[in-house]
Amino acid sequence: MVAGDDEQGPQSAAPRRALLKQAAGGLAGLAALAVSGCGAAAKAPQQSVKHAPQPVRSGDVAVLNSLLDLERRTVAAYTAGLPLLLRPEARTARQFLDEELEHTGELLSLIKAAEGVPSARQPSYDLGHPRTPDDVLALLHGLERAQVAAYLAAIPRLSPGVVRAAVASILTSDAQHLAILRLAQGQVAAPSAFVTGRD
Amino acid sequence: MSPATGLTRRQIIARGGVGTAALAAGAATLSVTHASAAVPQSDADRLRRLISVEMLILYCYERILQGPLLDPRARRLIEPLPAHETAHIHALSARLTALGGTPPPPPASDKHADRDLGRRGVVGRLGQLNGEHDALHLLLAVEEVVVGAYFVALTKLADPRLVTLAVQIMASDAQHEALIGEALYPGDAQKAVPSGLVQGRQ
Repeated sequence: MVAGDDEQGPQSAAPRRALLKQAAGGLAGLAALAVSGCGAAAKAPQQSVKHAPQPVRSGDVAVLNSLLDLERRTVAAYTAGLPLLLRPEARTARQFLDEELEHTGELLSLIKAAEGVPSARQPSYDLGHPRTPDDVLALLHGLERAQVAAYLAAIPRLSPGVVRAAVASILTSDAQHLAILRLAQGQVAAPSAFVTGRD
Repeated sequence: MSPATGLTRRQIIARGGVGTAALAAGAATLSVTHASAAVPQSDADRLRRLISVEMLILYCYERILQGPLLDPRARRLIEPLPAHETAHIHALSARLTALGGTPPPPPASDKHADRDLGRRGVVGRLGQLNGEHDALHLLLAVEEVVVGAYFVALTKLADPRLVTLAVQIMASDAQHEALIGEALYPGDAQKAVPSGLVQGRQ
């Protein structure tokens, strides 16, 4: 299977603009949370935003770009694999594709915050030759696992802490995908107490 | 306009040069900074807080699994998870002990656990569960608190080995969230795994 990378995905319902809006909504929510948890600071709502932006190190751009490339490969796999999946799994995969697109958007934002240049998208990805729903689930499982392992290796190298936490929030989403994909494959959903991307 | 930020959504998006999650994480960090004078200052303090919340979720799993509330399917999904929480507590406690700290005690009773749940903003109470739906929602809420605790800790932890351990455990607890979501909403990923950026509840 060779799939072109389309960051808009097959679901035009979730274009990048919409994802950015969702993310911005989430930001506003969290900022509100910050304010509500700040006692006296609740009277000065601007403070959150004023203090919130923290620089992303330019030295982290290469790491973020390598993660971006993995995300794009996974987006391509979900896009190409969806038509081969049966209804319940296809519905789940569509949700996961939307979330992978969200991850891509987040990484692009972090790279831009570091004043970096996002790496160019590959014109296509060699995804093997899955022919059945089981083949597709196995492909997606492998890609999600690889992403988790890559994020886990990358996060301790990132700085400052807010960037580590932001990227960890992507890893944890991929870990959730792994658990649900394992269920769909009839495997133990969470085989280990420590998620490493190796199982 | 966002009442919280004073910015329009367009302005927030225009600041896309700053990662949205990074901004959110910054906001979360700020909330911790302002929360109280008892904000942990060292990795040992942060480990103690993480162990404390892990002990709370372990207590909740054990109490709920001891009772008859869960049907066989939900029980099958949930039953392996307390062993994970025990492993998390052991790993964190070992690191804390190496730093010269002492792990906190687990909740002594349902009453203590319920008080802790209230302090952490969880609505459900162990003593007031009426059926599987209540039990699963309580577990889901506490797992969200656990994930949120790791998310905040990651903004501050200094030792890279602790960062790695925290991420591995945060991801494990996020998987628990997904499985509880699956037990609540079988086959509905939109409800079971509703967000692409998993930050828990801070």
